[in-house]
Amino acid sequence: MSKNIDLEQEGIQVKKTACTFCHTNCGVLAYVKDGKVLDIEGDPEFPTNQGGLCCRGNIAMQHLDHPDRINYPLKRIGKRGAGEWQQISWEQALDEIADKLSKIRDEFGAEAVATAGGTQRTDDWARRRFMNLFGSPNGFHNSHLCWIPTFMVETAIYGWCPFELDMDNSRCLVLWGQNPGASGMPEMHHITELQAKGLKVIVIDPRFTETAAKADMWLPLRPGSDLALALAWLNVIIDEGLFDPDFVNNFCVGFGELAEHVEQYTPEWAAPLTWLSADKIRESARMYATNRPGNIQWGVAIDQSGKPAGAAMHARALIRAITGNLDAPGSDLLTGPSPDFITDEEMEANDQLPEQQKTKQIGADRYKMVTWPGYGRIAELTREVWGKAPTAEWMCEAHPPSVFKAILSEKPYPVKAMLVSATNPINSYGDSKMIVEALRAVDFLVTCEYWMTPTAALSDYILPVAGALERPNITSTYGCSDFILASQRAIQPMYERLNDYNIWRDLGLRLGQAEHWPWETLEDAYLYRISALGYGVSTYDEFVENYRYHFPEREYYKYLRIGFATPSRKVELYSSVLEELGYPPLPTYIGPAENEADDPELAKEYPLVLTTGAGFMPYHHSEHFQIKELRFLRHEPYMDINPATAAELSIQDGDWVWIETKRGRIKQKANLTQALDPRVIYTQRGWWFPERDMRDPEMGGYLESNTNVLTSVDDEHCDPISGTWANRGLLCRVYKVDGTNEKGGR
Amino acid sequence: MARYAMVLDTRRCVGCHSCTVACKVHNDLPVDMIYNPVTTVGPTGVFPHVHMVHIPLLCMHCDNPPCVDACPTFASQRRDDGIVFVDENKCVGCKACVMACPYGARVSNHAKGTVQKCDFCMDRVDVGKEPHCVKTCHQRARTFGDLDDKDSEVYKLVYGKHTVRLLAELNTDPYVFYIYELEART
Amino acid sequence: MKHKDEGWGWMLSLDFFFVGMGSGMLIIGGLVDLFIGEGRTSVLGNFLGPVLMAIGPAFLTLELGKPTQAWRVFMNPKAILTVGAWVMSMAIGIGFMYASFGIEMLPWSYGFGFVRKLLAIACVVFGVVSGIYPGMLLGRHKARPFWNGPGIISLFFLSSLVTGVAGHSLCGLIMAAPTLSDVLRNLPLLIEGLLGLQLLLWGGYIWVKRSGGTEAEATATKRWISGDLSMAFKFGVILCGTLLPMVLVLMPGAIFQGIGAGLVVLGGLIMRMLVVRSGEDRTWLPGEQKYRSRLPGGDEAFLKKAWNIK
Repeated sequence: MSKNIDLEQEGIQVKKTACTFCHTNCGVLAYVKDGKVLDIEGDPEFPTNQGGLCCRGNIAMQHLDHPDRINYPLKRIGKRGAGEWQQISWEQALDEIADKLSKIRDEFGAEAVATAGGTQRTDDWARRRFMNLFGSPNGFHNSHLCWIPTFMVETAIYGWCPFELDMDNSRCLVLWGQNPGASGMPEMHHITELQAKGLKVIVIDPRFTETAAKADMWLPLRPGSDLALALAWLNVIIDEGLFDPDFVNNFCVGFGELAEHVEQYTPEWAAPLTWLSADKIRESARMYATNRPGNIQWGVAIDQSGKPAGAAMHARALIRAITGNLDAPGSDLLTGPSPDFITDEEMEANDQLPEQQKTKQIGADRYKMVTWPGYGRIAELTREVWGKAPTAEWMCEAHPPSVFKAILSEKPYPVKAMLVSATNPINSYGDSKMIVEALRAVDFLVTCEYWMTPTAALSDYILPVAGALERPNITSTYGCSDFILASQRAIQPMYERLNDYNIWRDLGLRLGQAEHWPWETLEDAYLYRISALGYGVSTYDEFVENYRYHFPEREYYKYLRIGFATPSRKVELYSSVLEELGYPPLPTYIGPAENEADDPELAKEYPLVLTTGAGFMPYHHSEHFQIKELRFLRHEPYMDINPATAAELSIQDGDWVWIETKRGRIKQKANLTQALDPRVIYTQRGWWFPERDMRDPEMGGYLESNTNVLTSVDDEHCDPISGTWANRGLLCRVYKVDGTNEKGGR
Repeated sequence: MARYAMVLDTRRCVGCHSCTVACKVHNDLPVDMIYNPVTTVGPTGVFPHVHMVHIPLLCMHCDNPPCVDACPTFASQRRDDGIVFVDENKCVGCKACVMACPYGARVSNHAKGTVQKCDFCMDRVDVGKEPHCVKTCHQRARTFGDLDDKDSEVYKLVYGKHTVRLLAELNTDPYVFYIYELEART
Repeated sequence: MKHKDEGWGWMLSLDFFFVGMGSGMLIIGGLVDLFIGEGRTSVLGNFLGPVLMAIGPAFLTLELGKPTQAWRVFMNPKAILTVGAWVMSMAIGIGFMYASFGIEMLPWSYGFGFVRKLLAIACVVFGVVSGIYPGMLLGRHKARPFWNGPGIISLFFLSSLVTGVAGHSLCGLIMAAPTLSDVLRNLPLLIEGLLGLQLLLWGGYIWVKRSGGTEAEATATKRWISGDLSMAFKFGVILCGTLLPMVLVLMPGAIFQGIGAGLVVLGGLIMRMLVVRSGEDRTWLPGEQKYRSRLPGGDEAFLKKAWNIK
């Protein structure tokens, strides 16, 4: 019954490649013969996964040659969305696209061209390089929803983001809004091993997740109330003297101001806001503060909470600072950018973007942290101390909702072209209905994709991208880690797919950027990047085959040597950088984007609290719904609702229900579960139905169960600091789908 | 002679279904066929006092297999090392084994007219490799080995820890053992 | 797929029914011959027994995944299905041989009474084994809580007896001969007694399974009392298959006898269909039912779309 492929036969090459279905990039061994991949398995020698491979990694071969993959460049003929395509050559496609972009630049300025990306799946430094050389400051990803605001706020406070958790020596881990049990498997494994040795784990999550089920303490807080919890923790830690006085006295500024500031944020104050008891808040704060060294693992929850996000990140960042859990053994380490290899930022040609163009970055006037104002200041400081800057294609981006709105309103100026790569914006950006309107309206839409997604269906050109097994990878945590993991491609791209690097390069060559693209292939570019490491290899593949990764020696307490990359060279509990940018220097309480205290009228209409965006197996965002082997496991969308609430609404397990917010409504099936508070609703993300007609108006049911129909990108709901929009902590209502309401508006 | 067994640590299993997919993909199973589902029991209790456990299921490779007992054609066989498998050539698809198995481990292949099941990846095991489900598990929740080998991991787990077997009272003598935490942690 | 697609279906229940009724007819034919006299059961009835017993396995063969290799079922003497296959095959042969004694055209029908008697004994013996064997097969299923245990042996055997008597009664009505009249008169009484026993045994079985066994047994039995099988059970098996015939067969007149016997046969068929349906209930493992209930049913668009055809 086994496929019984003889992996020891003549002519088999073993390629050390990586899984590319999430940014963990687990090591994969591919067995290749005559240019065909015969089998794959997890690489037992890879440091992160050690041979393990999750659901998604296991279907790489099904993904590789799936009948639905787009394999040739397509040009739209007929109306947008009509599904009429002409297969054209790359020459023609790139010539026409370059030509069109050039014309748009001439008429409207380079800033009229924007690019949209997703989570890290492609060589985004290449995308940024192209955009910088082209002259447009309007590149963006879903970065705001995923870590990037956290990175920038924490860097503002202590000079880099301490995302490297020294868990092996830690006594307590706080998983703040992260569920590795359903997403980051190697991390979960690591945590499990350490728990067996005594590591205490606190999970902060409204849902009783896979990870919460294994935790020592679970804090089921109200979605969006993380800020209140963080402020209360600060209050407890300071009030009970659980902070590290040495670290605070010697290496922090603004402790006095902070102590005074958080006096008001008692657990009793936080309890009704977080729905946690004051005792529980105290207990959890004590658990973290007294079990030192400890870690606070960042999770997307705060990044996705919209309005209070920036302040919440700030408050959370201060917790590890005052407990001395910074760059010490067992705590959260500030590794800084790598001095050893050429980082992503160094490949982006940021110096090529004229200053004048930087000022045109959409959203920078209002949301300063993850745009040129904030990034520029941060980059200045990190260069002073570390010698390098964080990756700009992630940390310095146009504000996505504002760009989409600019397409529609032409304010601050018209955006005429959208180049989409590695994302399905209709599914993954906030307020799907607005996104769809914008994509329908934009003059020129090009999508680089594996599949005919709803976004691709509306495009003028679709360019086929090479994916898993067809590309090499350098994994370096969005360009900000001090280590790299290196993987080679298993085979050259099949059919006429191109690596995305080559797409940007080929466009650049046609737009006068030739001198800036000396590396013909990705392997050439990667070799350039790792040469400085001094391994003496002549090809990138040689590095992968013989070395595979580079981890520098760990140095704790780097700040003793170089200080913190802040103006004062200390940890700025009272942040001068935030103050400079016009933001509160200390985190002040702001309620969740939509909440019953600030907007009781809204709460009457929408009485339940919504959280969305959490990942679940076997999917990844809006991917894999067409892979039968995975779809079989979970073939329909399910939302979570507490049985008590369901009973009140006459909803039974498995019923289709409408979930509605002010933005619109979607339907999913009801999963009655005690995993969440009766007042909370959770909807699954990502759902579309690729088996359906992909032509307008059906387009794979693109709004039917799509959670982003519910989310908000209203300026008043966005975080003033980073601009991140609100996926969580929104108000909603739920009711059964029945004959009377089955059809009708979304 | 070896006696193969598997130990499933439900304290570690997070219900990610990777083993289900790895098995399906590497055994080229028809889309509707699953050898090893992973079920979730819970959250049990009342919010917020809840607990949850995930239970990977598969053929138990019983020492007293009802499926071998029921098979009229000698297709269903038990090797000396305990692995229970189906000889496709002898199977006529009478489904007596499907009805007999208390664990639901046997699945019909409608296209071929036969019945199949997990065989502990015996082709791999025979050359010293691990079954796919064991290899792919990030959590290391699955341990496979020779229970007759006192130095093996499975021996230490089965005889050193408290393990339970599913439907043990039915006298099937299954060789898949579960480590099951009786108390909730939070 | 949903678990309902796995396992035995309605063809198995037809097999059980035909074998059951056929074996019952063999037993009655043989017993009447041995204790009352030869020729007291109709030739039609004598032939119908083995004919029904042959039709049953025909359905079984069709249910197989590979019908052309059905001969393999005879291979494993340790398997109850193999033993059953052999016994039934022999029963069919013996039944035909016995029945042939009723055909005047055949040379041996006038003599060889000793052989006929031997065959009658063999009919009873093989008929009994064939009648008991399905119940043993089902009762031995550890995995199927409604079936598991010795109780189902008597239910099936009793049903095969009563449907066998009903069969002979019907055949006697169709192909009456003067020598049959005394037997024919008493068959209804026999039916009456067996039906009464059937009523009691079923009541007892359901009661014990519902409240005197494991949780899995209780859940499975609920289907018969108030679930999806209850309508067919109460109306088909108890009312039409047992109580009504109990009244009808005592009423004078061939028409009532005939309808009564017919209903008994129908009840036997329905009963076996329900029992096989009840085999869907397995010793479920923790979390399994919820998991399986959420799997695709098989007709979803994403499955049907021609993707990834291997």
